[in-house]
Amino acid sequence: MPRTSLFRTSSFRLAALYLALFTISVLVLGAVVYLVVWREIVGDIDEDVKAETSVLAREYAAHGVDSLKAMIEARSQSVNSFAYGLQDAEGHRLTGVLFPSPAQPGWTWVSGPPEDSGVAETARSLVTRLEGGAVLVVGVDWRNEQSVTHAIFLAFVWALAGMLALGTIGGLFLGSQVLKRIEAMNNAARAIVAGDWRRRIPETGANDELAELARTFNRTFDRIQSLLAANRHVGDNIAHDLRRPLGRAVHRLEAARGDGSTQQDAETAIDVAIADIRGVLETFSAILRIGQIEAGARRAAFKSVDLASIAREVVEAFLPSADEEDKVLVVDLECALPLSGDHELLTQMIANLVDNGMRHTPRGARITVASERAAGAGRLKVADDGPGAPPGELSRIFERFYRLDAARATPGDGLGLSLVAAIAELHGLECIARDNRPGLSIVLSLPAQGVSG
Amino acid sequence: MKILIVEDDHEIAALLAEGIIARGHEAHLADNGRQGLLKATGETRYDVVVVDRLLPELDGLSVVKAIRAAGVSTPALFLTNLSGIDDRVEGLEAGADDYLVKPFAFPELMARLTALARRPVLGAEPTLLSVLDLEMDLIRRTVKRSGRTIDLQPREFQLLEFLVRSEGRVLTRRMLLEKVWGFHFDTRTNIVETHMSRLRAKVDRGHSTSLIQTLRGAGYALRAPN
Repeated sequence: MPRTSLFRTSSFRLAALYLALFTISVLVLGAVVYLVVWREIVGDIDEDVKAETSVLAREYAAHGVDSLKAMIEARSQSVNSFAYGLQDAEGHRLTGVLFPSPAQPGWTWVSGPPEDSGVAETARSLVTRLEGGAVLVVGVDWRNEQSVTHAIFLAFVWALAGMLALGTIGGLFLGSQVLKRIEAMNNAARAIVAGDWRRRIPETGANDELAELARTFNRTFDRIQSLLAANRHVGDNIAHDLRRPLGRAVHRLEAARGDGSTQQDAETAIDVAIADIRGVLETFSAILRIGQIEAGARRAAFKSVDLASIAREVVEAFLPSADEEDKVLVVDLECALPLSGDHELLTQMIANLVDNGMRHTPRGARITVASERAAGAGRLKVADDGPGAPPGELSRIFERFYRLDAARATPGDGLGLSLVAAIAELHGLECIARDNRPGLSIVLSLPAQGVSG
Repeated sequence: MKILIVEDDHEIAALLAEGIIARGHEAHLADNGRQGLLKATGETRYDVVVVDRLLPELDGLSVVKAIRAAGVSTPALFLTNLSGIDDRVEGLEAGADDYLVKPFAFPELMARLTALARRPVLGAEPTLLSVLDLEMDLIRRTVKRSGRTIDLQPREFQLLEFLVRSEGRVLTRRMLLEKVWGFHFDTRTNIVETHMSRLRAKVDRGHSTSLIQTLRGAGYALRAPN
């Protein structure tokens, strides 16, 4: 698989996009600043030039062209930033250096320095036509002002260049950092795809969203791995559980067909074989049923029911059997346990629990079915005082095909409590097995009120 | 009984037909949904129709729906293969009268077909039932045998009522669990057996004729011995 190019990483692209937007905004800002400064400077200069022109125009109006010429010459000598030009109506140059052509009245730029003296390369000039046709030009050296705007322009260019450089480097750095971590995730995922189920994404101490993502992925992998292991376990158990009765059935049928077996022997063998095979089919049905419940399709048909009254009905069905086996079924179901659920499945859940208690206890045992409410949450308890399960095994009794004796000598398919767990989970019930000292106690806790929907 | 079997698995269909004929009934076969629908709504009147859930051309649900839409009220039994929890509800909603999960024991199927075929026509249900010297008053909830009152628990009363209503027919363990307790699953604890032995003790003890009969491997029936 090709390694992801740095420039194609999403974080670099994001940084580049951000940089482009930032650049555009800096350019706009620079243009605005430049224009504002420029207009301010030109406005100031124009005021000065106008004032100077009006002084000179008054001199001309009062004393005539010669006096004006003298005044201009006097002022040219003094140190000020103005430059002048004066020509008569015929266009003869009388004094000064500024002679724009054509000499239209109004603002203009006069460029190209006359050979002499410190006049600007470019001068901002006001051309005024005086009475009698003489033309007066007053201009200002533009050099200082130009250098200011130039400096502003340069500053922006440098700032922009610096920003682009830093932004690019930053983007590449960010991209490579993120890329490194994504690569690590990618490598781990590829290794897992290739079959190395123990591989995990290395978790850094960081607490950002990538680290969170890595942790989530690792948890996902853990779950998948444990599910796979459970599946393998179940598969092995199915094979083990089904091979025995099927093998027995085959032996019986073979023996029945053999010489020396009577008609009655054959019939008995067939009956037992049918029972064996029927048991296998029932195991399959139970597995399918658990699978269907776990798929959760039934939730749509939930109605509001009372777990305690369902329990009452179920226990009632077991009473004669309990009597017959000298067992006592104690019922304490005064406390209602309302929840939204499937009546039929909840019936089966409780029936399986009571069934389990009946099967794993000796004569004279006590099986209690009780509802209670503690700390706002309702609970249903099915407990017996039989041999129970070793503390270490308590959490495993809900596993499919789990049986206390490894040899699987006791009757039962090891699926009854798995079905209980699946139905409980479908209803959001917490299902916990405890040591009843002595015996087994299974507690189904309803979600605390207000939390459930 | 005239029974129509709509089943695409020829082997199973043949086995069912063989069993049905061996018990003195008539079996007709259809191996796809379309054919099944045509036969069920055709000229021949069947006493009961057996429809498989998964069929070529037209699935079982649609067949039952179409039969009902055509105004034919022949009782229908649905066969599901999926040990489905939803299948049963769906089948009954489509208009089927009973369901059976494959694989099933043949006597179970026969018991259910017999029960369906003799399903009483809807109308005024009798409130007084009697078989020989056994009388049940469904309104006052009392039972008498030879004029003597028998005390029954509510569930025992329900069980006896179901037996009396199905007089002469075999009721399997599963049918009883479904109809009397609403348990659509089997338990390892012998719920039906213990209830039945108590009921029998109350109904038959002290009488020369036993009304409640246990049929080994099949189920129970209430009938007067001939």
